[in-house]
Amino acid sequence: MAETETESGLKIVDAFDLEPDLRALLRPGELVEGIGGQYHHLPRYFYEIPSHEAARQIRVTPHFGLNEFLLVDLKEAARIRAFPRYVPCAIRILAFYLERLREATGAPVHLAVNGGYRSPAHKLSVAATPHMWATAADVYKIGTVVLRERASIETYNRLIEDLTDDLYVMPYGHEIGKADDHIHVDLGYVSIVPREISEDRLEGPQPRPRFAYEERRRGDRRGWPREPLPEVLPAAAHGSPSGHDK
Amino acid sequence: MAKSPAQTPDAVDVRQSVAKAEQSLYASVLAIRGRHEIERLGIAFYDAETTLQWSYNADLAFHAASTMKLAVLLAVFRQYTRGELTLDEPVHVRNKFVSIYDRKPYMLDINRDTEGEIYDHLGRTMSVKQLAYYMITCSSNFATNLLVDVVGVPVIQTALDELKIDGIRVLRGVEDHGAFEAGLNNEVTANGLLKLLRLVAEGKAYGEEASAQMREILLDQRHKSGIPAGLPQAARVAHKTGNISTVHHDAGIVYLEGRKPYVLVILTQFSSETGRTTAVADVSRDIYECLAGMNGG
Repeated sequence: MAETETESGLKIVDAFDLEPDLRALLRPGELVEGIGGQYHHLPRYFYEIPSHEAARQIRVTPHFGLNEFLLVDLKEAARIRAFPRYVPCAIRILAFYLERLREATGAPVHLAVNGGYRSPAHKLSVAATPHMWATAADVYKIGTVVLRERASIETYNRLIEDLTDDLYVMPYGHEIGKADDHIHVDLGYVSIVPREISEDRLEGPQPRPRFAYEERRRGDRRGWPREPLPEVLPAAAHGSPSGHDK
Repeated sequence: MAKSPAQTPDAVDVRQSVAKAEQSLYASVLAIRGRHEIERLGIAFYDAETTLQWSYNADLAFHAASTMKLAVLLAVFRQYTRGELTLDEPVHVRNKFVSIYDRKPYMLDINRDTEGEIYDHLGRTMSVKQLAYYMITCSSNFATNLLVDVVGVPVIQTALDELKIDGIRVLRGVEDHGAFEAGLNNEVTANGLLKLLRLVAEGKAYGEEASAQMREILLDQRHKSGIPAGLPQAARVAHKTGNISTVHHDAGIVYLEGRKPYVLVILTQFSSETGRTTAVADVSRDIYECLAGMNGG
């Protein structure tokens, strides 16, 4: 196992081994109740992001930087806003689907402040919301269209529903459970365990903190030299990503 | 007009001068009230140079309009001095608020013309200090509601109570039409605003540093048709206006060269919606001329 992020991928931590103040805010493994009365276990495995600069540089998909999922305001607990920051590993799956949305719209997809990962300590986290699992996104702008009217919101909602059955799309409306100034999509309460880390039943801090480094399997984003792919794949499959939206 | 108990060898002359000024001011205010057809008028005044204070209907409650933003500013700096808020903390600029009347969400009717820079930050963040600045200097309703959400109405009232400021009641942010229809409004009296501004002027509103920062913001006020319009060009005024349909207010600290400042609050209400009125400026001018006359100027 490599020892530094520059030599390897992002650091994955078991949140049970974090400092007590952080652990109290992230509440790994704890059961929380959703608005509908269902209970869900909060995520346990997190990526550790060492600095603001790292958050800006780390690409989760060709068009999404990790920093875009971490935009919060003072409603988020101050310690959660301070680096190193932590985000549930399921962020990758959300980013994968947002990248598909980006491809379908052909325009930059802008996440709102407080519209990506929100810790359980966030003031908007009044009940279990997929934002606490990093599997929800609030999009306030696509291309140059600011989403605050029924027509634009419903048009994109329909596009997303046609794109995949995996994403829940919040309907347009003014009441709780509806959205009128953004598009809300989520994948439900998904927790993932990266292949590099070992699971156990020790749900409390351990003398030797449990962590791992993600393999550098996404070479394009991490600067690996690009090798030509075998001819069996169509050319489009190994084209260069068109770059980050900002 | 009341004078502090401190006596001087010229005490008799001063008393006569004060009495004369009071009569003159009272007559002048009545004349302005008649000329502008002001339905309700409240004035409170305190001069730090002479320690004179004078008032007219100063405990009469008015719809606060944008003068309530002074209470929001006070609460922001309360939280700042207590370490519960830093001025550079980011706030999500989102046009969505909750009515205190029925808890339903509502949006402000905003555009680039009315909200300028804040409108351009829609969907992004601005710092607490930036919002406080726009809330006061441009009287931004958007910034105000964002800050009311940040500090919370109970904290605003706590700040007023802690500093023993009676006569200001803050229930909600602005443009909450549901609450307005239900009669749930923010209210101020001239004495209440006078107390608040005196504390700011004297460095007693959560300490000298916080007071100085508040004065700095208030001095950058862009709406100058009220108190400043009745003063010489050289006067500097740290103030907050309040204009909404039938009410036109201004409350400020007036700095003139070579003397201590005076604090002046003028609240006006008309029987019907008025356009631009010079009533507040006229009262401001009278007060200034009265002081200048007493100073032999």
